[in-house]
Amino acid sequence: MSARSLSMPAALSAHVAPNALPIAVAVIIAIFALTEPAFLSTDNLVGIARQVAIIGIMAVCMTFVIMTGGVDLSVGPVLALAGLAAFYSLDAGFSLPVVILAGLSVGAVVGLANGMIVAFLQLPPIIVTLAMLSMVRGTALIVGGPEQHLIRNEPAYSFIGTGSMFGLPVSVYIFAAVAVIMILVQWRTPLGLLVAAIGDNERAARLSGHRTRFTKTLVYVICGLGAALAGIIQSSQVHTALATYGPFGTELDVIAAVVLGGTSIMGGNGSIARTLLGVFFLGILNNGMNILNVPIDIQLIAKGAIIVAALAIAARRG
Amino acid sequence: MTAAGPPLLRGTGLAKTYGNLVALDDTDFVVNAGEVRALIGSNGAGKSTLIKILTGAVTPTRGSVEISGEIAPLGDPSEMIRRGVACIYQHSNLAPAMSALDNIYLGRQPTRRFGFVDTRRQRLQAEELLAHHGIDIDLDARVGTLSTVKQKEVEILKALALEARVILMDEPTGWLAGADVVRLHNTIRTLKARGVGIVYISHVLDEIFAVCDTVTIMRDGRVVAESAVADIDRPRVVHLMVGEKLARESADAALKQRRPRGTGAVRLSARGLGKSGVFADVSFDLHAGEIFCLTGLIGSRRTELVRTLFGSDRFDTGTLEIDGRAVAPRTPLDGMSLGIGFVPEDRHREGLMLDMNVTENLAMATLERHCRGPLLSRSGMVRAGRRAIDDLSVQPRDGSKMVRLLSGGNQQKVLVGKWLSRGPRILILDEPTVGVDVGAKAEIYAILRREREQGAAILIVSSDLEEVMTVADRIGVMVSGRLVAVHDAGSVGMADIVREIGGGSA
Repeated sequence: MSARSLSMPAALSAHVAPNALPIAVAVIIAIFALTEPAFLSTDNLVGIARQVAIIGIMAVCMTFVIMTGGVDLSVGPVLALAGLAAFYSLDAGFSLPVVILAGLSVGAVVGLANGMIVAFLQLPPIIVTLAMLSMVRGTALIVGGPEQHLIRNEPAYSFIGTGSMFGLPVSVYIFAAVAVIMILVQWRTPLGLLVAAIGDNERAARLSGHRTRFTKTLVYVICGLGAALAGIIQSSQVHTALATYGPFGTELDVIAAVVLGGTSIMGGNGSIARTLLGVFFLGILNNGMNILNVPIDIQLIAKGAIIVAALAIAARRG
Repeated sequence: MTAAGPPLLRGTGLAKTYGNLVALDDTDFVVNAGEVRALIGSNGAGKSTLIKILTGAVTPTRGSVEISGEIAPLGDPSEMIRRGVACIYQHSNLAPAMSALDNIYLGRQPTRRFGFVDTRRQRLQAEELLAHHGIDIDLDARVGTLSTVKQKEVEILKALALEARVILMDEPTGWLAGADVVRLHNTIRTLKARGVGIVYISHVLDEIFAVCDTVTIMRDGRVVAESAVADIDRPRVVHLMVGEKLARESADAALKQRRPRGTGAVRLSARGLGKSGVFADVSFDLHAGEIFCLTGLIGSRRTELVRTLFGSDRFDTGTLEIDGRAVAPRTPLDGMSLGIGFVPEDRHREGLMLDMNVTENLAMATLERHCRGPLLSRSGMVRAGRRAIDDLSVQPRDGSKMVRLLSGGNQQKVLVGKWLSRGPRILILDEPTVGVDVGAKAEIYAILRREREQGAAILIVSSDLEEVMTVADRIGVMVSGRLVAVHDAGSVGMADIVREIGGGSA
């Protein structure tokens, strides 16, 4: 095969398609900034970062799961149950580290169960985590009941969701820290490479001497931890724990951010850094439409249409 | 071969570009009734692209296809089938749990009222086809229980039931051995006598001289030569396919010295190995510095045997010693810690991460060596990758290239390189050159010989007798799960091996 000069449309799509998402982010920023100058105010930009932190943490931690060819639908109820676990630990008078540990352990346990069932029993992730969604929600309802549990007079805990340092909310720092750690894990540890390898060709990874089932379990634990951390931040932010937090659709927002970031839903290719772009794309879209007073029904339709359009452009890459 | 009227199939000025890659450039291609035309070329020469255009799987960028003089719509597989172009792929497309009869008519059974399958008419039609083309198949046998050559025949019948007038056969003997190749060739001759046009794609030159009338040789996306087979000889074909330099090297390689039992030191010793219902009582020694080839028919359980040596499967009787120590590897990791490397049969399904780059694939079995504490040293990987690429002359010399974009031969070099980077004391390769072009084959053989010189013990499973006779120091023959003979390669002829291979089974 020999090289040949590109035709104009081909050249255009070759350069545009891989960068479709950054371009889309830039375009919607430009549109919102031009129609409503308040969009670019520092307050609003910080607000966007704060709004996306919860979904963002979950999306970053979900990326590896999707890269291995799996998915985790159980993140919503995990978020709720982690918040409840934190509430009850606070109620029992435990110190902050123990409270956080209690919340995170919910995610670790659910993730471990998801991961082991998927990896060792080799059942389809979409069904396993759907079943888990149901079971964890049920558990949260048993534990928390129907009522809101107010978190009061817990300044240390409330600092997580509502505090700020150097003008930025604490939750944004946490989101940034999780993102940086996970990007580091992806590019600078064997785990990052192995996750892509499993998504690309699990049998080949196993025949190359890798503990593929262990790794698959681990990525679900990471995903569960992310959802639990999100739950802690949320309960701290709204001073409440409630069994129905993280309602139906939460997991879809998370998956949408990951897939918009270019991670293949079939597994293999993916990038946590690009998941961040997907998160901000959706966050900016929500925020901009709110500022422009777009009615919520129209917002939902527009959001869905834009996601499909973005994916269609990205799919042309191949 | 002069046919009255237009040829069965004529492609004119066909071209296909992918982005900035020209896969096929201005190619004419003709198949006449009753002609068996060989289509050969190295991987990446453009054969597959041409075939995909003819089956409608790919829409060409330019050019046209005529079938019996009529312009055919392009890029429409069902329309190509309707007009009588069928393709038989290297890997079976049959439903193994269904009968031969059902497979032949799968998806388009003759029906009665209300859409019920007319089983009687279906059987009559099939029997007519069998009789007309002189093919002998048990129509009620489940396809999965048929031998590989019979499965090929079922695929051919399926094509004929569609009233195919041109049949494209992609590496039809890739998984056949010995007598079965002859049987398939006889079937092809029968078809030819009935006026079917056949395109025969193969890397095995002997077969082309045995069964084809004409040959089209491709290189770099173009047709470089067309000839009657009678007017061309083997060296000339190889020369046209690969260019001068590689042709000379592959001729030299066959003359290299054989070294039965290598240095004499036994590295791996199997005694009475068995796996219930799969293979039994297999005993042999593998020595440092030798290449031992296991040959036999497909289904003679060679793959299953060698997988138990590596640990990706388990044997349940007998003993295995490596360097004099009794071992029982239970996972690939066990095999690796015993110093074994394993290149599996199917590089796409089991060997490579196709969407990852060359560097990453090369490092896949040695990640722990590239770690500094918990961190992975990407620069270390890149350096090691660059060394391996130079060492194996992987083309293009670019570690960031996605493996999917390499030719079959270069993919295979990457897969072999992955294991060589561990410096394996025992290297097991299962069908190391299936779908690899002549040039890359010679390079892979040279790499294996070099490893042998450095004292590695090499065990190759191969159905390609040409390959076995070229690289083996010793040859083991397996029949139905048993190792029936072991020879020093210098003291046995191909004919003897063929006879032994056929020994136990049909």
